[in-house]
Amino acid sequence: MRTDFGYFEEKKLGKPYDVKLLKRLYPFTLPYKVLFACSILLVVFITLLDLSLPYITKIAIDRYIVPQIAPDKLENRDSAKHKTGHKTRFLRADISDPEIKTVVNNYPDLFKPDLLGSDLLEPDLLEKHGNFAYIPFDKLSRLSKKELAVLRKEDLSGITGITSIFLAIIIINFVLNFIRIMIMELAGQKIMHDLRIRLFTHIQGLSIAFFNRNPVGRLVTRVTNDIQNMHELFTSVIAFVFKDLFLLIEISLVLLSINWQLALVSFIVLPFVLYASVHFSVRARDAFRTLRIKIAQINTRVAETIEGIKVIQLFLHEKRNYHNFARLNHENYRAGMQQVRIFAVFMPVIELLGAVALAVIIYYGGSGVIAENISLGSLVAFIAYMKMFFRPIRDIAEKYNIMQNAMASAERIFQILDNRESMPQPVVSSGSSPLSIDKIHEIALENVSFSYITDETVLKGVSLKLIAGETIAIVGRTGSGKTTLINLLARFYDPVSGRITINGIDIKNYQTSVVRSKMALVIQDPFLFSGTIRDNISQGKTDISEEMMGQVLEASNCKTLINRLPEGLDTILSESGASVSSGERQLISIARAFASNPDLIILDEATSYIDSETESRIQKALFNLIKNRTSIIVAHRLSTVRHADRIIVLHKGKIIETGSHDELMQKKGFYFRLNQIQL
Amino acid sequence: MKSLHLIKPYFSENRYLIIFGLICLIAVDILQLIVPRIIKWVVDDLTLFNIDLTKLSSYALYIVAIAVMIALFRYGWRRCLIGTSRRAEEGLRNILFAHIQTLSASYFDRVKTGDLMAHATNDIQHIRMAIGMGMVALTDAIVLGAAAIGFMLYINKLLTLIALIPMPFVVFGARFFSKKMHRLYGEVQKTFADLTEAVRERFAGIRIIKAYNREKEESLKLEAVSKDYIDKNLRLARITGSFFPMMLLFSNLSLAIVLYLGGRQTIGLTITPGDFVAFISYIGLLTWPMMAMGWVINLLQRGRASLDRIDRILQTRPDIVDIPGARSITDAEGKIIFENVSFAYKHKNLPVLNKINFMVDKGKTLGIVGPPGSGKTTLISLIPRLFDVSSGRISIDNIDISQIRIFDLRSLISFVPQEPFLFAGTIRENIMFGNNKIKDSALITATKKASLYDTIKLFNNGFDTIIGEKGVILSGGQKQRLALARAMLKQAPVLIFDDPISQVDVETGNDIINSIRSMAGEKTIIIVSHRLSAVRFADQIIALDMGGIVESGTHAELMEYDKYYAKTFRLQEIEEELNAH
Repeated sequence: MRTDFGYFEEKKLGKPYDVKLLKRLYPFTLPYKVLFACSILLVVFITLLDLSLPYITKIAIDRYIVPQIAPDKLENRDSAKHKTGHKTRFLRADISDPEIKTVVNNYPDLFKPDLLGSDLLEPDLLEKHGNFAYIPFDKLSRLSKKELAVLRKEDLSGITGITSIFLAIIIINFVLNFIRIMIMELAGQKIMHDLRIRLFTHIQGLSIAFFNRNPVGRLVTRVTNDIQNMHELFTSVIAFVFKDLFLLIEISLVLLSINWQLALVSFIVLPFVLYASVHFSVRARDAFRTLRIKIAQINTRVAETIEGIKVIQLFLHEKRNYHNFARLNHENYRAGMQQVRIFAVFMPVIELLGAVALAVIIYYGGSGVIAENISLGSLVAFIAYMKMFFRPIRDIAEKYNIMQNAMASAERIFQILDNRESMPQPVVSSGSSPLSIDKIHEIALENVSFSYITDETVLKGVSLKLIAGETIAIVGRTGSGKTTLINLLARFYDPVSGRITINGIDIKNYQTSVVRSKMALVIQDPFLFSGTIRDNISQGKTDISEEMMGQVLEASNCKTLINRLPEGLDTILSESGASVSSGERQLISIARAFASNPDLIILDEATSYIDSETESRIQKALFNLIKNRTSIIVAHRLSTVRHADRIIVLHKGKIIETGSHDELMQKKGFYFRLNQIQL
Repeated sequence: MKSLHLIKPYFSENRYLIIFGLICLIAVDILQLIVPRIIKWVVDDLTLFNIDLTKLSSYALYIVAIAVMIALFRYGWRRCLIGTSRRAEEGLRNILFAHIQTLSASYFDRVKTGDLMAHATNDIQHIRMAIGMGMVALTDAIVLGAAAIGFMLYINKLLTLIALIPMPFVVFGARFFSKKMHRLYGEVQKTFADLTEAVRERFAGIRIIKAYNREKEESLKLEAVSKDYIDKNLRLARITGSFFPMMLLFSNLSLAIVLYLGGRQTIGLTITPGDFVAFISYIGLLTWPMMAMGWVINLLQRGRASLDRIDRILQTRPDIVDIPGARSITDAEGKIIFENVSFAYKHKNLPVLNKINFMVDKGKTLGIVGPPGSGKTTLISLIPRLFDVSSGRISIDNIDISQIRIFDLRSLISFVPQEPFLFAGTIRENIMFGNNKIKDSALITATKKASLYDTIKLFNNGFDTIIGEKGVILSGGQKQRLALARAMLKQAPVLIFDDPISQVDVETGNDIINSIRSMAGEKTIIIVSHRLSAVRFADQIIALDMGGIVESGTHAELMEYDKYYAKTFRLQEIEEELNAH
C-alpha cells in the first residue's frame, strides 16, 4: 500500500502554489460576495474615519488653537517682516464685539490696527480702521487669563464643536468596527462551513479503497484542522489586505491633497520600501517553510517514539533516539533563528525608512512653513499621516505568515477534492429514468476475481447464484476472502474481472444507492453512531411504527437490553458506549438491519461477541425473519451456519466445497474435518 | 507559578543576552520618546518663526540619526530576546522528549499520542511566545507607558490626569473581556472537539453509512454540528469584535479629552502649541502599551497554562524504576522462573494473568500458545519489565528481576514485538538501531538468519534503502523480518519472540523457525505464536486461557492430552495441507 500523504508530503512543499490556490478558493467566496462587499465598504469607510482624526486635529490647530492670518488680509507681508526683523504670528481680534473691544482697549501698546503700522493703537483710530486689531502671539502672555478667554471665546467654542465632531466620529468608528468584525466573521465562518461540508461530502463519496489507504485521523485533520487554518485568511487577511491597500492609497491621496510637492518628496522612500518588502517576503517564505517542515518532522519523531516506546526501551535505544531528536530540534531552533534574523532586519529597516520619510517631511515641510507655503497644521497632519502610512506596510508583512499557513492547508484540501476515486455510476440518458430494483429475485457472481493490490489475488474465479428466499453461509479461515466477497456484493469495490448481477443485470448498471437500499449489512465490529439507540436502529427513518419497532426488538433479542436501560430506546450511546457491551452492540446492529426491511441481509461475523446461549436464541428469530428473504451469513462458528440452505467453503479466494450441511458432512472433506475439530 | 522553575535555567543561562536585549529594548523606547520631543521643538519654533533652514536640517538629521540607532537596537533586542525564547523552546522540548522516553508502557496506554504531540509542539510554542513576545511587550508597555505618562505629567499635570481617565477602563475592560473570551473560547474549543468527533465517527463508520445509503443524512447531521460551531464562533466574535474596537474607543477618548482641554489650555497659554502636539503624540504612544497589556495578560496566561501542562508530564514519575541499590549484571545464563505471577492493568480490575508458574532453564525453548486475549503478550512483556508484576516473582538466574538495574536487564534480552516498529530511515539504521560498531559481516549474518538478506539485495540501494515512515515501502512480512534481524543482531542470552512468523508465508516461516532453532541450546528462547508449527520443537509448551496456564508439556504430550493445543494443531494441519494444493 502506498500512502499519498504523510511522510513523503513534506518534500513536496517548496513550489509556490499560492496564486493557483487563491484562484481555486475564489469560487467559495462568491456566494458571500455581498457580505464581502459590505465588509470592504465598511473597511474603506472606517479607514476614512481613522484618517479623518488627524485631519480634525489639524483643523483644530489651524483654525482655533494657532489660527493663521488669512493671507489676503496681509496686504504687505514683506513689510511686516522688515519692521520686526523676523516673522511674527498675529492673532486677530474682532473688535466689533464690545467685550473684546474692552480687552483691546486695555492694552493699547500690544494691539495694532493692522499689520503695517508700527504706531500704537489709539481708540479713535480703531473706529476708522475697520473691525480688527492684531496682536503678536508672543505678546499674548501679557494678557490675563480672563482677558485671553474673552479675546478667544470664538476659538474656545470652536474647540468644543470640533471635539464633539471628534467624539461622534470615534463612536461611529467603534460601532462600524464592531459590525465589520461581525460581518467578516460571518462570511469567513460560512465559507469554512461550505468548504467543510463540501470536503466531507466529497470524502464520504469516495470509495472504500480510499479509506483503506488513508487513516481516519488524517482525513479528520483535513476536514477540521486544515479548514480551521484558513479561518484567519477568510476573516481577517482578505479584508485587511484590502484595508491596508486602501489605507496606503487613501493616505497617499490625502497627503497629495494637503500639499502635493511635499507628498512627492516624502514618497522618495517608497522604492526602498518596495525593494525591502519583496526581498523580505522571499526570504521569509523560505524560512517559514523550513520551519514548517521541521515542526512536522518533530511531530513525526514524537509520534514515532510514542508508538515505538516499547521497542526503544527494550533495545535501550533511548540515548541514541534522544540525540537524533535533539539534532532535529536544534535544526528547528536554527530555522527559527533564521526567521528571527529576517524579521530583526526587516522590521527595523521599514521603521528606519519611515523615520527617513519623517526627516524629509520635517526639513521640506518645515522650510515650507517658514516660506509660508504650508500651514503649521498641514505639517503636523503630514507627520501624523506619515506614521500611519508605515503601519499597513508592516501589517502586510506580518499577514504573510498567516497566509503561508493557510495556503499549506488549502493545498492539502484541494489534493483530496481532486481525488475522484468514487465508484463509477451508470450514465442515465436524459429521457430514461435510472434502473430500479423492485425486489431482488436473483443475485449471481460470474467468475469474479478481485485483488486489492495488483498481484495479490484475494478472490479467484468465484461463481455463485442466490435465489430469493435462500440462505447461504460462507465459511473459511481468516484471509480466505469472505469479507471481500461481501464487499463486492455491497459494491464497495468492483471486481477486477467477472461480473456480479442482480436480476440478471450487472450491478454496475444500477446506482449504488439503489443496490444498497435493498440490502442490510451487519459487520463484525458493530459500528454504532453516538445518539440514541432508537436513532441507531431506525437510521433516521420516521415511518417505523412502534409496533414494528417492537417486532424488530423482539426478533433481534434486544428486549432484555432495552428493558435493562432506564432510558430504554432513548438511551444515548456515547463514544465508548460504556453502558453497552460489545455483544449488546452487535444485537443493536442486527436490529438496525432488520428495521431497514431489506431483500438481502448480510451478516458478516455478526454474532461473534454474543455468547452461545443468546446466539441460539437469536438464531431462531433470525431464521424466522430471513425466511422470506435472501440472506448471506459469514461465520467462524460452524454451529451458526448449520441450518443454511447452502454452505460455501472458501479457501484462499476459491470455493473449494459447496452444499448443504448434510451433503458436506457426507462428502467428508474440509467442512467435515473442521466440524470434527470444533465439536 | 510553581512550574516557573522549568524556564528559569534559560533565563540564567542567557542572562547577559537578556540584559543586553532589555537594554536595547529600553534604549529603543527612550529614543522613540525623543522623536516627539524633536517634533515639538520643530512645531514650537515654526509657530514663532524662530527657525532657519540650517536648524531645520539639523532637526531632520537628529531624527535620522535616532532612527538609525533605533534600528540597531531593535535588531539587538529581537536577536537577544526572541532568540532566548527560541533557545528555551529547544531546551524545553528536549527535556520533555527525554522524559517521555523514560515513562513506562502503561503511561502510553492512558495518554493519547495526539495529546503528547500537542504538548511537544503547541504548548511549547505558547511558552516561547510568552517568554519572547511576553518579555518584549511587558517591558515595552511598562517603559513606554511610564515614560509617556512622565512626559505628559511634565507638560501638564492636570491635563495628564484627566486625559488618563479612560485608561483604567481599558485595563478593567481587558480583564473583564479576557475572562469572557476565555470562557467562550473554551466553548468554541468544545464544539470543535464535537465537530472532530462527528467527522471521525462518520469516517470510521463509512462502510455502514454507505451500506445503508446514509450519505445525505450524515452530511446534514454534520452540517448541523458545523452550524453550531459557527454560532459559537460568532458568539466569541461578538466579544472579540467589541473588545478591540472598544480599546481603540477608549484611547481615542483620551485623545478627545486632550483635544478639548488641551486645546483650551493652549489658547489659554497654559501650554504651548508644541506641547499640545507632543501631548497628542504621547497619547498615541500610550495607546499601544494599554492595548498591549491586555494582549500580554492573555499571552502570559496561555503560556502559563501550557507550562503547567508540560510540568504535569514532567512530574509524572515512570512506574517502573530501578530500586535503590539495584544490582548491576553484565551477563547471565538465562534461566527464567515465574513464581505465582499475577498481573492486572491498573485501569482495569480484571487480572490479565493469574498465578502463572513455570521455569525455563538455560538454553531451553518455551512455546506459548492460546486464543487471542489469553494473556500471552502480557506475559512476555513482564520479563523485560515493560510492566511490573502485580504479585508473585520473576527471576533470571535466581535473581528477582526487580532487583536488577533496568538497563542491565534489558541488555540481557532480545525482544521481537508483535507489531514490528520501524522508523523513517534506512534499512541499515533500522537493523543496527544506533549501534554503529557492528561490522557489515555481522549485519549480513543477522539478516540471513531472518531470511531478509535476499530481499534486501533486490533493493537498488541495498541496506541504505530508505523505508519511509513506519516502513511504508515494505510489506508486512518484510517488516516482521526486519524486526527479527534487529533482534538477531543483539547479543543477548535471552530471546523472546512475539508471534514472529504471523505475516510471512509458510516457507519463509519455516526458514525463520529453523534460524531460531539453531540458536536453541546456547540461548534461552521464548516464542509466542498462533502458528503452532513455530512452537512444535520447543522443549516445553504452555497453553494459556483467560490468564491461566491450562496445558503444559512437550508437543507430544499435548497432542496426547487432546485439548486446545491438539485441536488447533490438527486444524492448522488441514489448512496447511490445503495450502499445499
